[in-house]
Amino acid sequence: MTAPAVRFNHVTKRFPGVLALDDVSLQIEAGRVHALCGENGAGKSTLGKLLAGIHVPDGGSIELDGRAVRFASPREALRAGVGMVHQELAFCENLSVAENLCLEDLPRRGPFLNRLSLRASARNRLATIGADIDVDQPLGALALGQRQLVQIAAAVGSGARVIVFDEPTSSLSRHETEKLLDLIRRLREHGVTSVYVSHRMEEIFEVCDTVSVLRDGKHVASHSVRELAPDEIVRLMIGRQVSAQAPRHLLSVTGQESLHVEQLSSPGKFNNVSFALHAGEVLGVAGLIGAGRSEVAEALFGLDPRATGKVSVLGAEVCIRTPGQAMQLGMGFVPEDRKRQGLVLALPSGANVTLPLLRTLARAGWIRLDEERSLIKRYFDRLRVRAPSPDFPTAGLSGGNQQKLVLAKWLATGCRILILDEPTRGVDVGAKAEIHALIDSLACEGLAVLLISSELPEIMSLSTRILVLREGRIVAEIPRAVASQELLLRHMTGVLSD
Amino acid sequence: MFRIARNLFHSQQAGLVMVLLLLGSVVALLAGNARNPFTGEEYNKLLNAATLMETATQASFFAIMAAGASLVIISAGIDLSVGATYALAGVGGAMALRALQIDGGLSVVVSLGICAGIGIFCGVLNGAMVVGLRVHPFVVTLGTMWIFRGVAFVMSGAATLVVPEAQTRAAKASLGLSDTLHPVPLLAMVLITATGALYLNRTVWGRHNYAVGGNMEAARYSGLPINRILISVYALSGWAAGIAAFLGSSYYGSASCIDGSGYELYVIASAVVGGVSLNGGRGSIVGAMLGALLIALIRQSIVILQFNPQFEWIVVGLAIVLAVFLDRLKTDLSARRLALAAQAVRASSTVESRSET
Repeated sequence: MTAPAVRFNHVTKRFPGVLALDDVSLQIEAGRVHALCGENGAGKSTLGKLLAGIHVPDGGSIELDGRAVRFASPREALRAGVGMVHQELAFCENLSVAENLCLEDLPRRGPFLNRLSLRASARNRLATIGADIDVDQPLGALALGQRQLVQIAAAVGSGARVIVFDEPTSSLSRHETEKLLDLIRRLREHGVTSVYVSHRMEEIFEVCDTVSVLRDGKHVASHSVRELAPDEIVRLMIGRQVSAQAPRHLLSVTGQESLHVEQLSSPGKFNNVSFALHAGEVLGVAGLIGAGRSEVAEALFGLDPRATGKVSVLGAEVCIRTPGQAMQLGMGFVPEDRKRQGLVLALPSGANVTLPLLRTLARAGWIRLDEERSLIKRYFDRLRVRAPSPDFPTAGLSGGNQQKLVLAKWLATGCRILILDEPTRGVDVGAKAEIHALIDSLACEGLAVLLISSELPEIMSLSTRILVLREGRIVAEIPRAVASQELLLRHMTGVLSD
Repeated sequence: MFRIARNLFHSQQAGLVMVLLLLGSVVALLAGNARNPFTGEEYNKLLNAATLMETATQASFFAIMAAGASLVIISAGIDLSVGATYALAGVGGAMALRALQIDGGLSVVVSLGICAGIGIFCGVLNGAMVVGLRVHPFVVTLGTMWIFRGVAFVMSGAATLVVPEAQTRAAKASLGLSDTLHPVPLLAMVLITATGALYLNRTVWGRHNYAVGGNMEAARYSGLPINRILISVYALSGWAAGIAAFLGSSYYGSASCIDGSGYELYVIASAVVGGVSLNGGRGSIVGAMLGALLIALIRQSIVILQFNPQFEWIVVGLAIVLAVFLDRLKTDLSARRLALAAQAVRASSTVESRSET
C-alpha cells in the first residue's frame, strides 16, 4: 500500500454563519479515485475546494505526499500538483481554448504572442488526455462537457498529480458522462489521484475505489466502494432510510386528453414532434443533452417564436405565442435553470410564488397584501417550504426550497398542465423525495404532467409512459412496464442492437 | 407609534437618515450663528427656515426626477435623457403657452399638462426603442439625451422663454408660511416620492418593475408582459422629468434649452446614493429622495462653511463613492446575517425531518 496522496487533519472551515467543515480527518490513497459524497450542504465541495486552494481552512492542516501544505490560491495549488475541475471555474470565455490552456505562461516572441507555439502546446496538452478540440475556438462556444476536458487538460498539462472533480457530471448527458468516467480511469492508470465530489451513486460505483461520506460538515465514514451497497451510502449520507415505491397515480385511470401536439417543429432545434398528454398521467421525456427536450418545452410555453405546428389544449386548437397565453390556457412550466429562468432572487421568497398571478390578487392594481400572504402561506405549507417567513430572501434558501418555490408558483396559478424540466436538479436527497411525492400526488389529482429529466431512475420511477427524443425527433414511446435503463439509453444514443 | 419608530430604524433608509442628521449637526455646529441685521435676532447659519427650505428646494427637482429614474434603474435599465427631457418639456410648455396665448391661472394647469405630456412622450420613445431596437438603454438614452436637447434648441432658437407670472406665483406660493419661504417644490417632492413608494411596494406594476429588473428571464418565464412593463417604466421616468420641468421653469420664471444640463448625473447619483442598485431589482424611491437631499445638503454645506465653491464637484464626487461603498459594506453585513439565518433554518429543518422518521 502506497502512502496517502492527501491527508486532511482535523480540518475546519467556517463561512459567515455556517460551519461548513467540522473537524474532518481523512486520507486519500495515491493513484486511486476517491469519492466525496454527501447531501447538498454536507461540506463535500468545500473539502474539495480547500484541497484545490479555492478556500483556506480555518483550522487543521492538509498534507500532500506527507508534507503539510497551505494554498492561498488555486494557482499555488496547481503548482504543488493539485488541479480542480468544476463548473464555475475561472476560465475566460472570450479567449480561445489555446489561450485559456496556456494562460499562465503564454508563449511569446519579444513582446508579441507566439501564436504558432501557443497552438502547438495547447494541442499537446489536449492530446495527453486524448481530447480532440479545435483550439482556436473561443472557450465560450464549447459545450459544457468539452469545457471540462479543457479544464482537465489544463490541470494535467501543468503536471497535476491530484485532480479534484466537483460534481463534474451534473450538467452532462449520459454519453458525455461515460466519456468523462473513461478519462478518469485512464488518468488513474497514469497514477493520477482523483477526488470525485458527487452524490450520484451510479458514477461512484462505476469509477471510484474508495468513498468518504460527509454529513452536516462532519466526516461520517470512509470505505472501499466494494464493501458498500448504494443504499448504504445513501443511508450514511442522510442518516435515515429511503424507500422506493411505485407511484400512486398509476392506480387511477388517466383522464381526457389535456394536450395534443402535432408536427411541432422549430428550425435547428427539433422536428415533427407529436404526442398526446392526458390528465392524471406523468409523461416522461428522456434524451441526451442537446436532443431538444427543453426546447420542446419552451416552444409549448410560448417561448420560441419560430416554432410551428398544431397544439391543442383540452381539444381546442390554440396558438401560444407568449408565456402569458400559455398560463391563460392552464399551463405551468418549471424551467431547467431555476436561478436564471425560475426565480427572481432579488425578490423575497413569497413574492416569487405570487409573481405570475399577482393580477388576480389585486384590485385596480393594488395588491391585496393579506390575500397574497394567505396564498403564500397555503403553498408554503403544502410544499413544506422551509423559510422563516414569506419575506425571507430567496437567495438564502437551499436549492430544494428554491425549487419548491418555482413549483409553488405554478401550482398557485391552478394550472392543469404542468411541464417540469429537470425538477430535481441540484436538490438534496430529502427535498428530491418530497418533490417526487408531490409530482405523483399532482398526477393523482388529475394534473397532466410532462416530466423532462436527465436522471433515468427519476423518469422510470415516476412516469406513466416515456418518450425518447434524439436529435430533435421522437424516436420511441416506451410504456412503463417495459422501460429499463438500458432500453432508454439505447434509444437515446441510437445504439440499437437488434 | 413605537412600532413605526422601530420599523423606521430597521428600514433600509435608516443609515441614510442618520448620515443626513449627522452631517447636518456637524455643519450646524461648525457654521455657527449669524445676526439678523434688522431684528438683531441670532440664528444658526444652517438651522434656519430659509436655508433649510432652500436646500430642500434644490433637492426637490432632482428628487422628483430621481423618483422616475429609480424605477428605470430598478428595472435594470438607465435613463440618461432625464436632463434633456427636462429641458424639452420646459421649453415645450413655455412655447405652447405663448402660442396658445394662455395666461393667468389657466396657464398653470395647461403648462403642467403639456410638460407632463412631453415627458411621457419622451419616455415612451425611450422605452419603445429599448424594447424594439434591443439596444442597451444606456446607448438609447445617450442618443435621446442629445436628440431631446437638440429639439429643444431648434424649437426655442436658443432663446430663453419667460413663463407666465401666474405659474411662478403658484410655484413660489408661501402657503401661509412667511413670505420668504416657498414650500411648493418641497411638498411636490414629498408627494411624488410617497406616490412612487406606494406604486413600487403596493401595486402589481411596482412588483413587476422589481421582477423585470431582478431577473428578466425569470419574469418572462412567469408570463409577465415584459415590453409593456419596460415602456411604462421609461414613460414614468419621462413623466417625472416633465413634472420637474414644470416646477423648475415656473419656480425660476423661465425655460431654455440649456436647462437641466448635467441633471441626469445628479439624478442617477441621488438614486445610487439612496441605495438603488445599478444591477436592477433593488432599491427604493424614498432612498433616492434621501440621496438627493444628501447631495443638496453637501452642496449647501460648502456654501455655508465658506469653502471654496470650486471644490464642490470633488466633494460631491467623493461623497457618492463613499456612500456607495458604505452601502456595499452594509450589504455584506446583511448577507452574513442572511447566511446565519439560513443556517438556522437548515438546522431546524434537519431536526424536523429527523423527528419525522
